[in-house]
Amino acid sequence: MTKTPLLEIEDLCARVGEKEIIKNFNLTVNEGEVHAIMGPNGAGKSTLSYVLTGKPGYEVTSGKIRFKGKDLLAMAPEERAREGIFLCMQYPVEIPGVPTTTFLKHAVNAVRKHRGEPELDTLNFVKMVREDGKALGIDNEMIKRPVNVGFSGGEKKRLETLQMSILKPDFSILDEADSGLDIDALKVVADGVNALRDGHRSMLVITHYQRLLNYIVPDFVHVFADGHIVRSGDKNLALELEEKGYAEFVKEK
Amino acid sequence: MAGLIQDIKLFGEDIPWFQGLREKGMEAFRRQGVPTAKTEAWKYTKPRDLNADDFVMNDSAFLAEFEGAHEEEHSGCCHHHGENCHCHEEGCRCGEEIDVRVDLPFDGYQLHFLNGRFVPVYPVLPRGVEIMTLMEAVVTQEAKPYLGHLVDLEHYPFAALNTAYMEEGVYIRIDRNVKLDKPVILVNHTEADAENLFYNLRNLIVVESGAKAELIEWYNYTGAEKSRYFANVVNEIFVERGAELRHYKMQDEAFKANHVALNMARVRSDGFYDAFCLQRGANIGRNETKVLLKEEQAVAEVNAAYIMHGWATLDTTTDIEHLAPETFSHQLVRGVVGGDAKGVFQGKIHIAKHAVKTEGTQLHKALLLTDTAEIDVKPELEIFADDVKCSHGAASGELDEEILFYMQSRGIGREEAKQILIDAYLDDVINKVADVSVRAWLKDRAGA
Ligand SMILES: Nc1ncnc2c1ncn2[C@@H]1O[C@H](COP(=O)(O)OP(=O)(O)OP(=O)(O)O)[C@@H](O)[C@H]1O
Ligand SMILES: [Mg+2]
Repeated sequence: MTKTPLLEIEDLCARVGEKEIIKNFNLTVNEGEVHAIMGPNGAGKSTLSYVLTGKPGYEVTSGKIRFKGKDLLAMAPEERAREGIFLCMQYPVEIPGVPTTTFLKHAVNAVRKHRGEPELDTLNFVKMVREDGKALGIDNEMIKRPVNVGFSGGEKKRLETLQMSILKPDFSILDEADSGLDIDALKVVADGVNALRDGHRSMLVITHYQRLLNYIVPDFVHVFADGHIVRSGDKNLALELEEKGYAEFVKEK
Repeated sequence: MAGLIQDIKLFGEDIPWFQGLREKGMEAFRRQGVPTAKTEAWKYTKPRDLNADDFVMNDSAFLAEFEGAHEEEHSGCCHHHGENCHCHEEGCRCGEEIDVRVDLPFDGYQLHFLNGRFVPVYPVLPRGVEIMTLMEAVVTQEAKPYLGHLVDLEHYPFAALNTAYMEEGVYIRIDRNVKLDKPVILVNHTEADAENLFYNLRNLIVVESGAKAELIEWYNYTGAEKSRYFANVVNEIFVERGAELRHYKMQDEAFKANHVALNMARVRSDGFYDAFCLQRGANIGRNETKVLLKEEQAVAEVNAAYIMHGWATLDTTTDIEHLAPETFSHQLVRGVVGGDAKGVFQGKIHIAKHAVKTEGTQLHKALLLTDTAEIDVKPELEIFADDVKCSHGAASGELDEEILFYMQSRGIGREEAKQILIDAYLDDVINKVADVSVRAWLKDRAGA
């Protein structure tokens, strides 16, 4: 089977402010693959996810990123999202005053418009959000509230997953989607994520805990330390890390 | 100043009490003149171009012609309008479906002004509501117990000028205990070719005891945005015992226009005056509201929003006087300022010596969209009584970059994301408007 690369990162260096965080990072994710990234606090995992999504302040100093063969770094954050990149954030942002439904509708229609699909009318939109929300335990009451305002940690993560499920991105980055989730919620979120796996969509799963990877089974596991990948393996690498910790990699630097 | 004192012919010069008021207005205006940077109440908002001689004031020639024609056609027309018209004269336009109506997403009794002139077509009114022109109310003496009673000519130069040239406007009276089913809507429309027009508009609104009404004012224009005209509006509002008036206004004037309005309201015991004004047009726009909470349990809500770009100055000035114990006022003002524009909020709460157990709150918040946007805020508390609850606050900020990025990362374009946030920012205060269809209309216009 020939593999089609979806995301190609080459010799990426990036900094936040004066601080070099990503150092000569290389990774290729092919269509349909799930890659897990594990690594110590402060290694630069979230930074990588922001560089991929184009957050202002995250400056790429050298290297290339291609997404579906296109130069990702030349695109504005919204263009990247419309092209199919989605970041399930470690710390989802609260938007006071903007009802979640309003926000979701704008997002869905922006992406649909880009794909050449007609905008969803209110009826179909509501139907879709209801259906996908139900599976994630998100009720009507919750999506009437302002985006993430007053949501519990678990509710925020579920809302991130709902957005992912209705935007249907080709490439999803899950930055600690499991943090703050109880065991049941973890399954719910993982089911939501797995529902998107269709052999074409790809994922980058950032986590500290092997447990999540029991539910979202990765094809590859990478250890990220000091700004780049220091070791790669299959899902068993996660088990090994769970046992030994990162001491051996952190010492390396 | 000469430019604004013009020798024009007005109706009612032969009515001594009325002409006397005009003369007092003229004297007061001559004494004060057009406000300058040294005028404390106008230090942030400088009316531009006012000394120019090229403003043209409406005189009565046009109106005389119009009414003359109307009179001829409708000789014997009873001058009672709406349901009350029983003249059966052929061609009487009272109560007929009219073509001046504008499409609004809510029903109401529409009255129209064109270039500062009342268009004499009346909606069919239910019993217990009287609407007539200011001049009719003067001639019939209806206006006498009210007109000029609230305006302090010495401290409001534009109101003094307005008084000097009183002629246009309407008198609206809601009778005792009448609950008006639909809003009265004053549509003030200026045409672009009304270049350099200066018009004075004076309305009297009387809500008698136990009555309930909603009044909407909409100032708009058609044609070239650049037309330079000046609207000088004074509303005298009487909310009697246990009465309620909801007063919503949208200022949508042309970008080079001046719009200066003074709303003077007096609220008696258990009365409720609920005001909201959205300003989004004009080069200089000032909406000033003074409320006299005259008797116990009088309540006022004075809320406002403004949104602007370019070079505009939009000014919201309030002065709430708590003159009796147990009176309550709340003010919430939110503004969005872009371009090189300037937002001004001057808010005063005055609590008189004996006005104990009174509550007055005030909060102004502004969102600055550019580095060159500016706001000037002057809160003032004058508290002479003990045992009162009084608070004021002001805050300004910018759009949150974290939030913008979050929205963009979901595919929402940056400009669209900004608009969503701006709408949400203003929603907070527009939601204070109790009438949901009017609220929706205001939101729609705010986002336009
Ligand atoms: N805006 C910023 N300014 C300066 N330093 C920053 C900024 N953002 C992140 N950093 C630093 O960059 C480094 C990497 O942070 P990042 O959040 O990417 O780590 P992480 O691998 O996601 O850690 P964790 O596992 O705790 O989530 C940290 O040392 C952090 O303090
Ligand atoms: Mg992180």
